[in-house]
Amino acid sequence: MRPKRAPFFTTLGGGGEGGLHTTGAKWFMIESQRHSYHLVDPSPWPISGSLGALATTVGGVMYMHPFQGGATLLSLGLIFILYTMFVWWRDVLRESTLEGHHTKAVQLGPRYGSILFIVSEVMFLFAFFWASSHSSLAPTVEIGGIWPPKGIGVLDPREIPFLNTPILPSSGAAVTWAHHAILAGKEKRAVYALVATVSLALVSTGFQGMEYYQAPSTISDSIYGSTFFSATGFHGFHVIIGTLFLIICGIRQYLGHLTKEHHVGFEAAAWYWHFVDVVRLFPFVSIYWWGGI
Amino acid sequence: MAEIELKTAPADFRFPTTNQTRHCFTRYIEYHKCLNAKGEDASECQKFARYYRSLCPMEWVEKWNEQRENGTFPGPL
Repeated sequence: MRPKRAPFFTTLGGGGEGGLHTTGAKWFMIESQRHSYHLVDPSPWPISGSLGALATTVGGVMYMHPFQGGATLLSLGLIFILYTMFVWWRDVLRESTLEGHHTKAVQLGPRYGSILFIVSEVMFLFAFFWASSHSSLAPTVEIGGIWPPKGIGVLDPREIPFLNTPILPSSGAAVTWAHHAILAGKEKRAVYALVATVSLALVSTGFQGMEYYQAPSTISDSIYGSTFFSATGFHGFHVIIGTLFLIICGIRQYLGHLTKEHHVGFEAAAWYWHFVDVVRLFPFVSIYWWGGI
Repeated sequence: MAEIELKTAPADFRFPTTNQTRHCFTRYIEYHKCLNAKGEDASECQKFARYYRSLCPMEWVEKWNEQRENGTFPGPL
């Protein structure tokens, strides 16, 4: 019996377990393939991504050395990579949500992949925080043996950083709210929760942008500037990526792609968001608070 | 001939390492902090002066003196 659905969602194919997820065609395919894995159709996106990466790296090197056309090649490469990401992931969504290839066994791949990717991101940011600690815990004689170095204007941790510190975790709580709504099958509420999550994230990014704009020191100002702005800058970049991921989840939820049993993409976004959240706490304490006094 | 007394800066437990850079820098800072506090030519400060002159390479001392004159010395004087 077809489950009752809110009027603004669409369903494809027959009703059954989850509208979009089980078309008649899928059952035929699964019956004929005799294994629960997904043999992907040939795709041009891996090679196009590689070409984009080649263009980006070569263009980047050309840009940083005195060669003509470096900036153009670099931008083209980056655009190409972004385009490849868009179409590749669009294909994944088509294969999973619309064609139904993602059985439980197949879902393990993206799950473990997301976790391992997040671990690699943790390692990346750990390197920058190590650099920050290395420079600040035992400041060298060349900068006077003191931290922050003489003459560097530091940001007051009690102002914008302190304001942002509750905003991001609230956003994390909102994404958990969204997750519970999805698990309970409350689809409209999940959309609202995701809207709340993304709004809080955008507000905090806006504040951070304002703070950067009127900061008294820059990335070129001694080792303090280098470590401060590279650590906080990369963290900010990850916040922006996480926000984009959550926006896409919000759109998918609105279109009815996610069901209470099957929402790996949303879980990956939520894990990524929590990682971004937790990582923010460490720099606040060590870089903003401890590093400024 | 009179006995020549040879002395150098005492071992400081704050700097137990082989690399004594920070020891030299700290004594230099202490000498100048002492001068700022007690006025020029105070005899108590000469102790610190002897310590830093034993420990520090003269190139560093000259560079720091020049920085102090320019107002660009980064240390906490």
